[in-house]
Amino acid sequence: MLRTLLHFFLIGGLLFGAKVFIEGRRVEGPEITVRVSADATQGEVDNAVREAILLNEARRYGWDKRDPIVFTHLVRNMRFIDPDSTDGDLALYERALEMNMQAHDPVVRSRLLYRAGAALAYVPEDRMPTRDELQAHLRAHGDRFEREGRVRFQQVFLSRSKRGDALSADASAMREQLSTLDERPPKGLGDPLPGLRPEQSATLSKIKDDYGVELAQAVEEAVTGVWRGPATSVYGLHFVKVIDQDAAYVPALDIIAAEVRADLLRELRDELRKERMDALLGAYAVHIERVP
Amino acid sequence: MRRISLLVLTPVWLIVAAGCGKDSAPPAGSDEFGRCADFHELRQVYWGDTHVHTNLSFDANMQGTRTSQADAYQFAQGKPIALQPYDEAGNPTRMAQIDRPLDFVMVSDHAEFLGTLAVCNDPVLPGYDSQQCIDYRDAQAFDADPADVRSVFITINGLTAALPPEAQYPALCGPGDVYCLEAGMDVWGEIVNGAEAVYDRSDSCEFTSFPGYEWSGGPGTKNLHRNVMFKNANVTELPYNYFDEPYAEGLWARLQEECIDAGTGCDTLTIPHNSNLSEGIYFENRMGNGEPFTAEYVEARNAMEPVIEIYQHKGASECLPGETVSDELCGFEIIPFSNLATTNLEIISAPDPRGFLREAYGEGMKLEESLGTNPFQYGITAATDTHVSAPGFVAEDDFKGHGGAGQPNRFLPPPEGFPDIEYLSPGGLTAVWAEENAREAIFSAIRRKETFGTSGPRIVVRMFGGWDYPNDLCSAADLAEQGYDGGVPMGGTLDPQPGSAGPMFVVSAKQDAVPLQRIQIVKGWLEGGDYQVVVHDLDWDPNNDASVDFNTCTPQGEGFGDLCSVWQDQDFDPSERAYYYARVIENPTCRWTTYQCVHENYDCENPSREIDLDCCDPSAGLNVDWCESIDCTDQSLPPADARCCVPRVEPVIQERAWTSPIWYQPPS
Repeated sequence: MLRTLLHFFLIGGLLFGAKVFIEGRRVEGPEITVRVSADATQGEVDNAVREAILLNEARRYGWDKRDPIVFTHLVRNMRFIDPDSTDGDLALYERALEMNMQAHDPVVRSRLLYRAGAALAYVPEDRMPTRDELQAHLRAHGDRFEREGRVRFQQVFLSRSKRGDALSADASAMREQLSTLDERPPKGLGDPLPGLRPEQSATLSKIKDDYGVELAQAVEEAVTGVWRGPATSVYGLHFVKVIDQDAAYVPALDIIAAEVRADLLRELRDELRKERMDALLGAYAVHIERVP
Repeated sequence: MRRISLLVLTPVWLIVAAGCGKDSAPPAGSDEFGRCADFHELRQVYWGDTHVHTNLSFDANMQGTRTSQADAYQFAQGKPIALQPYDEAGNPTRMAQIDRPLDFVMVSDHAEFLGTLAVCNDPVLPGYDSQQCIDYRDAQAFDADPADVRSVFITINGLTAALPPEAQYPALCGPGDVYCLEAGMDVWGEIVNGAEAVYDRSDSCEFTSFPGYEWSGGPGTKNLHRNVMFKNANVTELPYNYFDEPYAEGLWARLQEECIDAGTGCDTLTIPHNSNLSEGIYFENRMGNGEPFTAEYVEARNAMEPVIEIYQHKGASECLPGETVSDELCGFEIIPFSNLATTNLEIISAPDPRGFLREAYGEGMKLEESLGTNPFQYGITAATDTHVSAPGFVAEDDFKGHGGAGQPNRFLPPPEGFPDIEYLSPGGLTAVWAEENAREAIFSAIRRKETFGTSGPRIVVRMFGGWDYPNDLCSAADLAEQGYDGGVPMGGTLDPQPGSAGPMFVVSAKQDAVPLQRIQIVKGWLEGGDYQVVVHDLDWDPNNDASVDFNTCTPQGEGFGDLCSVWQDQDFDPSERAYYYARVIENPTCRWTTYQCVHENYDCENPSREIDLDCCDPSAGLNVDWCESIDCTDQSLPPADARCCVPRVEPVIQERAWTSPIWYQPPS
């Protein structure tokens, strides 16, 4: 636990937020006043409050005085204000702090918010997901990992480019020929097209991407075991016969563990960010001051 | 050459790789060949992008790209992605989304600064407080001065342009570069894990990812970059970059020793790109020590580099107009720059013809005569080289800029004019013929060069070469089966067939959104030691009157949904080396610059926005109405009008696909 806390603080954990969060109880916290414009919406007020708390936490931790970006930036500001100064960087920096420059500078503000944001989302080692948690996550959110159903179907294609004006008549003849096939596969029938196979297993999305909406629809609506068509594509005419269908499914954890873990960690970071922020919001006494 | 001591590196990556600890992922499922539901032994086409940069690349990072490798994978699968510029509150001002998902992706961030970025962004790492990191972080500020940003970019990224003996990590990396090596190792581990997390190991096989990176050597800004692709999560411990191995042969040696020969299940290959920006040195007969190629060198190069990027954001590298042979279709997306610096600075400078692939194919055959192996026997791929984490974002009618050497678009306001340097383009895609959408099958397809590249559209093309194909093969429903049975697919090599007439080729293609215009076969051969090239039009209607309506960018005229031809080389000389590749050409369409002008409905009489000025610039060839009225034979044209006759970019392009060549080797 000590190591976890140490790491949390090292990567930029928020002292007060951590205390509140870890102890799991309300702790009397600082009071701050947040100024917003008189016509600010509730969303703008909420955002301003969150930022003010995070900035205050960052300052309580002393990042505004110790962060190297802040240091460099404030020194540069001071040299701009006082270009003739012969003072060293440290002296200039201390003068900037005396002037409370760090409280108002937009670069400092942006930097502190960045560090605070990273700290809020930090996942300590003891919160890293176990296998049981991965399994539970997969069970609870199967829709996120669901694989599209597949259709196994046969296809015969007649090329518009090759057949030209004869396409329609050829299609009629092909329909007749297919009706005599019974269960036999349509081997050797029709024209070749790169990637087209006499029988394949594909998702409807893939069929749509490869041949267009009409063919995908024809496959979707086809009665199993019956030739359907012709359906039109930019390439010509297609006949299809659905052999069988596999419903959408969720793969087992052993197969997609890495995918599940990445998703759970993403969710965990969002939760931690929210939990820690809520803890801070609950602990702070915030006064809103609307200014014209 | 620097040898890196692994003893000085922390074992973090080793722990990650071994999967130790409570928080490690359970063992991944099997990845056996043939596991996918749609496995097909006669192979099918899969679409991918093997050249993608995210915020882990220093140049992309400095350009304001905030999206990660995870975001890039999401984008490839159809999710929208945020694009810079971001506003002060950190919200993106633009979004992008691909029209169809990709099947496979390799994210290839520049390896040189993976550790540098980590050091400069993590306060607990040594080096964080260095002046270079402080400058870098200052340059990240919302209100940073663009001149300061550029200065930081040049200072750090410029190290990749050092000559090999001087190639070194930035000073911030500390003594022995340990800070960056250590941090880079961790980032590399995360890259590999990230690719694992999105690889579909179920039998649906919906998406395949490959771990990889870009080795970014560019001495004197002459581009020698190569993407390093790993077949699976068994990778080298470090992503070896230009500072570690400043010569390509050093990189290959490391990859051979520490990956291919390591007995760990590791396999890898490298993919060269942008030879057009190398000032011709990409295919120079010279090794790192300045000596001409040796037999060992050409064997290593042939084995390690099966394919090359023929086209991407920074232009085409197929052929330069006017070189080798008259071929008017060589004038496609030729960018008028000679190297990386002139591209970045937009300094017009003629590219060196020796940097183009068609020249290299000839040189390679000559080298094979003397050394026994062709070092440039490349198959074909294409890619985006996106620097905004947008793999496969190739739409001409929705181009938002790819960054990198192009326009950064980092600062507000969002671009109103062209979102990229007008000479650059959305880039292309790689297609492979593989049994299934899984790592083993796709990697093997690339290794055997059964690949083709396109300039963006998903034109599907298949090519076989053999000696005895029937003339009516294009009417055979089992064309693919006969193609394999009677010969070799694209990327293969035909062995001599004594007594046969010339080799026969069957090329079959189908359109994407726009009809096809024609199929061509490009043949190159040695004749008495001289390199010859000829381009054959196979199957087309030269009078189809295909054109574009410039008011709407709608393609006009007839074309073909699919094309197929069987062709025999009647001029074949069985004693000479030769290659044959197919080029499939679409009907004309608007280039992205023209789409922008049409979509924005520009008014040249009353320009009010930046894009009006761009679109109304006759030298850009974009004000079509204006330029069409100019008589270029009139020698007294005023300068502004005369520029219409030498347009900077073509308003109309013909998108295309290039297959890997089929090679012929005479009896030894």
